[in-house]
Amino acid sequence: MRVAGQPLRPSDEEMTASVASPVKNSPPAKRSKLAIFASVKMTVTLLILIAATVLVGAWCPQESQVGFQKVIEMFGEQTAVKLSELGITDIFHSVWFLVLIGLLTINMVACSVQRVFPKIRTLKQPMPFFTNREISKLPVNRELSLPVSSELGLEKLSTKLRQSGYKVVENGHSLSAEWGKFGRLAPTITHIGLLSLLAGVTISSWTGFSGFKPTPLASAMSFGSSEHSKLWIGKLPEWRVRVDGTRREDYPTGEPKQWYSDLTVIDSQGHELKKQQISVNNPLSYDGVDIYQSSWGLDQIVLQFNGHERRLDLRQMGKVYAAFLPLEEGMILIFSVRNQVQPVRVFAKTPQWEAPRLLSEIPLGKSVRLGSVNLEYKELIPITGLQYKSDPGYGVTLVAFCFIMAGVMLAAVPHRQVWAHVRTEAEPANEETTAEQDLCILSVGGRSVKAKTAFEKSLYSILTRLEQEFAATGAKA
Amino acid sequence: MSELQLAMTNTAGLTSVMSFWVFVGSNISKRWRELMLKVALAVMVVGFVALTVAIVTRGIDAGRFPLANLYESLLWFAWATMGGYLLMQKLYSIQHLGWLASLTAATMFLYGSWLPASQHEITPLVPALVSYWRQIHVPPLICSYAMFFISGLSGLVQLWQSGRLRALAFAVGALVFAISAIGLGTFTSLDTFLLQGLFVGGSIAGLSAAWLSLNKISSGRVNQERAELYDEVGYRGIMIGFPLLTIGIITGGLWANHAWGNYWSWDPKESMALVTWLSYAAYIHLRIHRECSAEKLSLVTVAGMILTLLTYLGFNSLGFGGLHSYGRFK
Ligand code: HEM
Repeated sequence: MRVAGQPLRPSDEEMTASVASPVKNSPPAKRSKLAIFASVKMTVTLLILIAATVLVGAWCPQESQVGFQKVIEMFGEQTAVKLSELGITDIFHSVWFLVLIGLLTINMVACSVQRVFPKIRTLKQPMPFFTNREISKLPVNRELSLPVSSELGLEKLSTKLRQSGYKVVENGHSLSAEWGKFGRLAPTITHIGLLSLLAGVTISSWTGFSGFKPTPLASAMSFGSSEHSKLWIGKLPEWRVRVDGTRREDYPTGEPKQWYSDLTVIDSQGHELKKQQISVNNPLSYDGVDIYQSSWGLDQIVLQFNGHERRLDLRQMGKVYAAFLPLEEGMILIFSVRNQVQPVRVFAKTPQWEAPRLLSEIPLGKSVRLGSVNLEYKELIPITGLQYKSDPGYGVTLVAFCFIMAGVMLAAVPHRQVWAHVRTEAEPANEETTAEQDLCILSVGGRSVKAKTAFEKSLYSILTRLEQEFAATGAKA
Repeated sequence: MSELQLAMTNTAGLTSVMSFWVFVGSNISKRWRELMLKVALAVMVVGFVALTVAIVTRGIDAGRFPLANLYESLLWFAWATMGGYLLMQKLYSIQHLGWLASLTAATMFLYGSWLPASQHEITPLVPALVSYWRQIHVPPLICSYAMFFISGLSGLVQLWQSGRLRALAFAVGALVFAISAIGLGTFTSLDTFLLQGLFVGGSIAGLSAAWLSLNKISSGRVNQERAELYDEVGYRGIMIGFPLLTIGIITGGLWANHAWGNYWSWDPKESMALVTWLSYAAYIHLRIHRECSAEKLSLVTVAGMILTLLTYLGFNSLGFGGLHSYGRFK
């Protein structure tokens, strides 16, 4: 199956069918305008254009991930606006990129159906047998003469080839052998994988949803604010997830090591459906939705001033979290906490002071007296960053990944084919051999489209070993 | 660092330099050539074994998989370059590539040893990296980069053997620009845009000039058989590297999905790996119908090597951000 207009070279299976076929010079057939969509030239062009586009996207910070502020930081206001107008700051959602992906999809479907998949059929065709004249036209070929009968010569070659992993078929004075035939499945398997990947991604994008919900301790998260694609036909779950506990584990140096959250799935009446502790790399799965630990922080500190409870929002400042409470005359109280175990440090700051002054440290659940105020550190409310996702195309995508990996690995296997033919010739008597002796003339040839030189080396080494074996036995006889 | 680990790392570094010089020296005298090539190869095998031991002991010392920062990944890269060369050497007789492979490994050692000491120390991991996925995801990537390097170097030798000396000079020029930009970016604090310009401008200019001068053939220099050999070596290198890159990217996606619920987030390094992947997919399809001459394909492998360099080291040194960068350490 070749699309007309391609340069004509004998391809694998054409060679198999009629070896040493003269290159056919059929006139370029009329082809429909659509054929361009099935051309490898288009594939290469599209792959390069997409690669270049993605490269630009890797270089320029993307608004959809880091926000426009980051783009301004990097390039300055004016350039950033220009880049934004050109679509470069959100290149993966640009029309240009989507059109390229669309064209690649069409190209891939057309090519796979028209050219890649039909090749499977040629796998079933048995290899033909060749005469020595045909063998002498193969890209790699050699003639040996061995001092044995032709049957034995061919049999020995067959054994040697088998030992090297070839599948050998013999037929009278001829032999054909093949190595790495399954390598020819590579394009089919890879392209089935690529098409399945597209299918899986499409299913997920049309019916899946995802989102991020920072959820404070003891609250429950629902899926109301989830994101999904424009063409969406999915459905959001009714159940919710309650955070029963959440904590951070540190290395001795104070660097975070792991975050944990104890989650309970509850239905709309509050019945508990499932309980699980999650951590980074260890999500909870329920009803097709996965819930991941993706970030962690301290949300609020609860204090009591002479019996009056106040909740203050915490802000992350480097390794600590701080809450600010303005008092009269410009005085600010600062509460700084590092984690759920260490005490809160209370500072005061006035405009006159250069640096805040440490007033006290209060362990959790304890209180201190500051002037006329009894200050109690009641509670620290952590907040856990929960990422969730429903991905109905997951199974298909996973299978696609397996196919793609298997396919590209198979493509590394070079297919090798060997043919041999024997005939007998009488060697005239000379000084050493007193009597006339039969010689086995073995024509061996073959090819490996992907790796000719390596094939040549390996085949010649097989033949050399064969010759040496006979030289040795010949010497003995 | 334990003494064994240090000794083995140093042995590996030293042998890579030694095998380089023996490979180079083998050209001096015809009589000693075969012997010297054997010696060079033996030295490289010693280096490979030493580096294997060094990496394993580092893993044992650290109590974790020893591939967590730039320094460790450079060790892996050197290991994969030596291993990849030795593998190719089993399939082909590729003496003309030996010195380039040794040089690459030696350069990686040197680059690694110039990094600040904090990189050499064994440091604990941030939460995002504590996962068994790390050892599934990263080694194939590093090994694929090394195979792409071997393939690109083979492309250079192919240009030489096919008498495309002018194109070769331009291609080497492109590489020099790219490598200098990365070196300057790592060890100086030059302006990021200047470095990016140097990298991109230099490699595009060099490769375009090389492309345009492919017709200029120094006919006395052509060795068709070897040119064919190195063309094939370049191709095989990619056919080994490409599955590794594919596996690396896919397992990365699976990891991200496992950890964050998303296969793909267009993080700069992810995107760059995709660019490399797409480019080599283009190479493979270019090759299917052999419409392209071997020399053009060689230049594509060199371009691929520059992209690989950008993916692997460009991010730290040329100021691309993102989740995956090993962090700047100036
Ligand atoms: C999107 C458009 C694509 C088209 C139209 C296309 C087309 C083709 C064609 C016609 C073949 C040759 C089959 C043969 O002659 O036996 C092929 C092989 C192949 N394609 Fe694609 N392809 C596309 C994308 C991709 C991508 C993105 C990859 C990335 C993995 C890929 C990987 C392969 C592999 C590994 C082979 C086998 C090569 C070999 O056996 O040496 N293809 N493709």
